[in-house]
Amino acid sequence: MNDMTPLLEIKDVSKRFEYVEALKSVNLTIGRREVVALVGDNGAGKSTLVKIIAGLCQPTSGGLVVRGEPVRIGDVRDANALGIVSVFQGNELCENLNVAANLFLGRELRTGCGIRDENAMVVRARAVLDTLSSSIQVGRPVASLSVGQRRIIAIAKTLLSEPDLVVLDEPTDSLSVMQTAEVLEYTRRLRAEGRSVIMVCHDLPDVFAVADRIAVLRQGRIIAVHETCETSYEQILAEMAGIVDEDADGRGDESDGVPAGGAVGYRIRVGTSRRLIERRGEQSGLPV
Amino acid sequence: MSATTAAPAQTTKTGGLLATIANNARQYGIVGALLIIVVVFQILTGGVLLKPNSFVSLIQQNAYVIILAIGMVMVIIATHIDLSVGSLVAFIGGICALLMERQGVNWGLAILISLLVGLIVGVWQGFWVAYVGIPGFITTLAGMLIFRGLATVLVGESVPITSESFRGIARNYLPNVLGWWGPFDGLTIVLGVACIAAFAWSQLHKRIRAQRVGLVPEPMSLTVIKIVVAALAIGFVTYLLASSGNADQGGTPIMLVIVGVLVLIYNFILTKTVFGRHVYAVGGNRKAAELSGINTRRVDFTLFVHMGFLSAVAAVCMLSRLASATAQAGMEFEMDAIAACFIGGTAVTGGVGTIPGAVVGAFVMGVINQGLSIMGVDTAIVKTIKGLVLLGAVAVDIMSKRKKR
Ligand SMILES: Nc1ncnc2c1ncn2[C@@H]1O[C@H](COP(=O)(O)OP(=O)(O)O)[C@@H](O)[C@H]1O
Ligand SMILES: [Mg+2]
Repeated sequence: MNDMTPLLEIKDVSKRFEYVEALKSVNLTIGRREVVALVGDNGAGKSTLVKIIAGLCQPTSGGLVVRGEPVRIGDVRDANALGIVSVFQGNELCENLNVAANLFLGRELRTGCGIRDENAMVVRARAVLDTLSSSIQVGRPVASLSVGQRRIIAIAKTLLSEPDLVVLDEPTDSLSVMQTAEVLEYTRRLRAEGRSVIMVCHDLPDVFAVADRIAVLRQGRIIAVHETCETSYEQILAEMAGIVDEDADGRGDESDGVPAGGAVGYRIRVGTSRRLIERRGEQSGLPV
Repeated sequence: MSATTAAPAQTTKTGGLLATIANNARQYGIVGALLIIVVVFQILTGGVLLKPNSFVSLIQQNAYVIILAIGMVMVIIATHIDLSVGSLVAFIGGICALLMERQGVNWGLAILISLLVGLIVGVWQGFWVAYVGIPGFITTLAGMLIFRGLATVLVGESVPITSESFRGIARNYLPNVLGWWGPFDGLTIVLGVACIAAFAWSQLHKRIRAQRVGLVPEPMSLTVIKIVVAALAIGFVTYLLASSGNADQGGTPIMLVIVGVLVLIYNFILTKTVFGRHVYAVGGNRKAAELSGINTRRVDFTLFVHMGFLSAVAAVCMLSRLASATAQAGMEFEMDAIAACFIGGTAVTGGVGTIPGAVVGAFVMGVINQGLSIMGVDTAIVKTIKGLVLLGAVAVDIMSKRKKR
């Protein structure tokens, strides 16, 4: 395989939900060994794009090309088979199982004939959590973990396979400073290991800390893609808010109840505080 | 320094036994409840409950509930329910009887075909639940009507079974191959001792494995207590069985062997295999299971196929016991099986439950049933009492969970 073929090409992907056009002809190319940040306001379509890459939903039109081959990613298993693993928003874990069981959920180690190799999983789980310098005990029930610890578990799951592309939807959301640093370090490590990462993130300092390129999504469109070293907070914020690129198609198709004046609100705040954007909170969870 | 670190270590060790018991209060509680119920009825019935032959009939009468509860507990863990198993017992029992009595099929082959029919019915119901997405409650409610109706059409009044061998399944014992040791059946004693040894070995093995990978095993004292209690219980049951029967035969009823083997196999499947883990995962958080790449549809489908198979086994056992197929066979069995699961600690919300728990739950119901009927209590009252027991068990469960929060 030619090392120059991009890992993933998102070609003209549109996604229409009943009343909302969540993605409009999105084109994006993910190379090998790079961290691409996907930024955008709430409802911009970031999670929808992630879900399409992960196989959780299908594009209405357009398609994905992995390593030069057009593919149909029908479900999470298809994505895994292509070397794509994802951490979704919302840390879905099984409360009734322990940490090790959750880590290996869906890819249990076996001794053969469908019998689990519990010992190997415990040992491996502990090793993986060690690499994330987490002291979570692998035998603990997940029900007893904090939000941050759950996120670590969700992220640690990606370390168990040998993925080529790791997709992280808001990985630093609601993490402590230390945990955030851990996640960013983990992202860098993935790149160092030759993997690629798509990271959806609200937090621009986090984005600028790790991303090679930043793609700005606004109302379902990719507004711009920048090399991180050639752009600034102000530019990204302005693009997220739609100030630089005044949308030609107007606000008629404003997606999920974001007031039409929302963007105007940003205009005032741009450059003063990114916190205001954070505080708007996440509106859309992960629909079934 | 060393004194201060040693002290807390000491307290965690001594607190370990009580803490472990408290954490698993539900499991130990239900076993304790069963022992108390047994003792109470032993007294109330003037010692009749635990006479060897009435104990054997306790097993033979409740075998079908246990067999159905094995499947039901897995189905409930995965947040489904199966209401059709009682009707399936009548339907598949009817087919089995017709094959033997009207078609002249050999009884062994008839059983095989019946099991196959159970699998097919499981595929049918699994298809609607897993691939069409109709909730198990609805699918099996439909199944309950469909198969009861079909059973009535097939069987008519009733189909008596003439094959002695087939009728023997429910009433015969394992052959007395090791002879009589005094008043006791030798084979039964050997089996009983083997069970105790196997249980002790599995408990110790579990500890050793936990320690080997650096997990904290349960306190040694608890392991010892468990082994001793189990040894006493198994020993007593062995004594009862070994002295059961009549002049011709006695010892271990064949039904007990069937139930025991099924419990062992399915408990292994549920606790040791990848599939078993996925059943718990689907029940604990279906979305997480899906996102982790588990084929949740296949898990649902497989569960209903297992349930269909186990219903067929129960049907064969029931047919053998009644020695005649009727359209009314298996009436309300689904309720007994479901009740056994919930009494045995299966969570109403899914995700939690064990096969041994369901077996204990089935015995709780069975002992109450048997005890009250020995005492001559009206069956209507028995039903009422069973209902109250179910309500009480689940209420205790839910209230103790609420307290923990
Ligand atoms: N399953 C769904 N059904 C209908 N609308 C949806 C669904 N998922 C997302 N949307 C809509 O698509 C738009 C993009 O959502 P999302 O991708 O979650 O945004 P982001 O992750 O960028 O905040 C929103 O308007 C949202 O309401
Ligand atoms: Mg999102």
